[in-house]
Amino acid sequence: MAQNPFDGSPGLAGAVSRLVSAWALLGGVVLLMVVGINMISIIGGIFGAPFPGDFELTEMGVAVAVFAFLPYCQLIGANVSADIFTMAASRRLIAFFTLLGSLIALGFSLILIWRMYYGMLDQKTYDYTTAILQIPHWLAFMPILISLALLALAACVTLSCDVKALSKG
Amino acid sequence: MADALMMGLGGLAVLIFLIAIRIPIAYAMIVVGGIGTMLLNGPALVFSQLKTLAYGQFSIYDLSVVPMFVLMGAIAAKTGLSQALFRAANAWLGWLRGGTAMAAIAGCAGFGAVCGSSLATASTMGKVALPELRRYHYSGALATGTLAAGGVLGILIPPSVVLIIYAIIVEANIVTMFMAAFVPGLLAVILFLLTIAIYVTIWPDAGPRGGIPERREFIDATMGVIPVLIIFGLVIGGIYLGFFNPTPAAAVGVSLVLLFGVLQRQLSVRDMISAMKETAATSGMIYLIILGAELLKIFMSRVGLPQETAQWVSGSGLSPMAVMIILLVALILLGCLMDSLSMILLVIPFFWPVLVEINGGLYQGAEGAGFGMSTEDLKIWFGILALIVVELGLITPPVGMNVFVISSLSKDTPMIETFKGVAPFFGAEIVRVVLLVSFPALALWLPSILS
Repeated sequence: MAQNPFDGSPGLAGAVSRLVSAWALLGGVVLLMVVGINMISIIGGIFGAPFPGDFELTEMGVAVAVFAFLPYCQLIGANVSADIFTMAASRRLIAFFTLLGSLIALGFSLILIWRMYYGMLDQKTYDYTTAILQIPHWLAFMPILISLALLALAACVTLSCDVKALSKG
Repeated sequence: MADALMMGLGGLAVLIFLIAIRIPIAYAMIVVGGIGTMLLNGPALVFSQLKTLAYGQFSIYDLSVVPMFVLMGAIAAKTGLSQALFRAANAWLGWLRGGTAMAAIAGCAGFGAVCGSSLATASTMGKVALPELRRYHYSGALATGTLAAGGVLGILIPPSVVLIIYAIIVEANIVTMFMAAFVPGLLAVILFLLTIAIYVTIWPDAGPRGGIPERREFIDATMGVIPVLIIFGLVIGGIYLGFFNPTPAAAVGVSLVLLFGVLQRQLSVRDMISAMKETAATSGMIYLIILGAELLKIFMSRVGLPQETAQWVSGSGLSPMAVMIILLVALILLGCLMDSLSMILLVIPFFWPVLVEINGGLYQGAEGAGFGMSTEDLKIWFGILALIVVELGLITPPVGMNVFVISSLSKDTPMIETFKGVAPFFGAEIVRVVLLVSFPALALWLPSILS
């Protein structure tokens, strides 16, 4: 799999890299918890004690986990692109295209932070909760907003790296 | 109306341009879908949708099975499952001419049953089987070609991630799709084994016989596949027989693979962290593409491009079969340029309405339908065909990711040899597609029996 190019790099980039990796692992732990909830539900079902709300916990948990994965994807460049058309392009040009990608990621994360912050306020105002366990949806938006902030940070790190690559030529 | 359509086509052109200049496919879709809808209906609508769109997409229950199956595959790759599978298969088949290569195919099929990704299947089995193939003096072309081809078995043998995504796009039942994939998956294994048998008949030096294993080794090795049988039986068998939904089944799969790894003392904390990071990278990538595809879908359906295309094709006078073949060829060609998942998300929303239109509508029964089957059946049949052909790009130039992965594991075999070695398997895949196009029952039979 893709290696983290910022592993052990000094300064801010290294710090962001450690933070983003740790956050992704935390997302992995949430995913494992979702696995656990489903296991409890199955085993409970066998012994006639079903676990209400496993559906909604799964939905919420997976959404939170996946958002936590996004900054890590940006950092290690896991988002697939088609490289075939630019195989003959110069390194400078490719560095410029990569920079565009980082810029889009940064713009996307900033817009989503702005919009989902208001999304969270909506959920709070209208008291939206899950159907069975009555968990307020805005609770899930909190870690998601942190994930998006980290995505913006990760995009800044890849962006500065792209700028360096471009200026070196 | 015509203006909107022009915007749709313009959007498509921009999308292709962005993808061509290496913008990650997910972001290309997000940009075109988001900005396109803004130009069409004003920014207010998009901004209000963005408040909850991403959360809504990421919390779709049917999708929750995806990160779990990814995690299951990632953990499985760290345990000794792949070694156990290959060892058993080799004990059974190794004494045949070309037998160790056949064992690699069987191992890939077995590993595909716990892992939903072609690349992961190819690289995991490659690490196990390549050294053995070299030890028995197999030719570089046959050894690497077999493993690159064996990887594509991962997509049709459940659990497959791309299969789940397809089912969600066309609103098919995931369980039905899993059932439909079983016979075509098995067919691929048989065709691949035949391919090796023919290959070594023509070039006997390419795959010499191995020794006949001792009784003790034979029994030990055979016992080694029991964990895989249990995992596959519980997870996929449980889904087939309706014991549980795919998501709980995936949870069972993750737990069993974890348990196996811990019991075998093969799974260290470091492995677990690396499996989780892999899951993060793969699932994050998949979900971002799904979000992009959703934004693109909103834009495209507002300009009416898929509907327009569907009507245009059905009014063109081409026979249903001709259209099906054109679509499949288009998928093969596109598959040479892009990864299968992005492609399924990108083109199925365009291709599927065309087929529905030709067949006579979403609720068309078998009677009088364009393809002579109900649209529900068409959904399954086309899905299986589409999944097979998009994966062909993994073993053909210029991108051939499976070939790249295997080449990087086997430095002393030039990549051109691997492409040569994989060519007969490509032929076998074409035979399989022709068989499935001619006999749709191969895909439709099992779901009709089990449901």
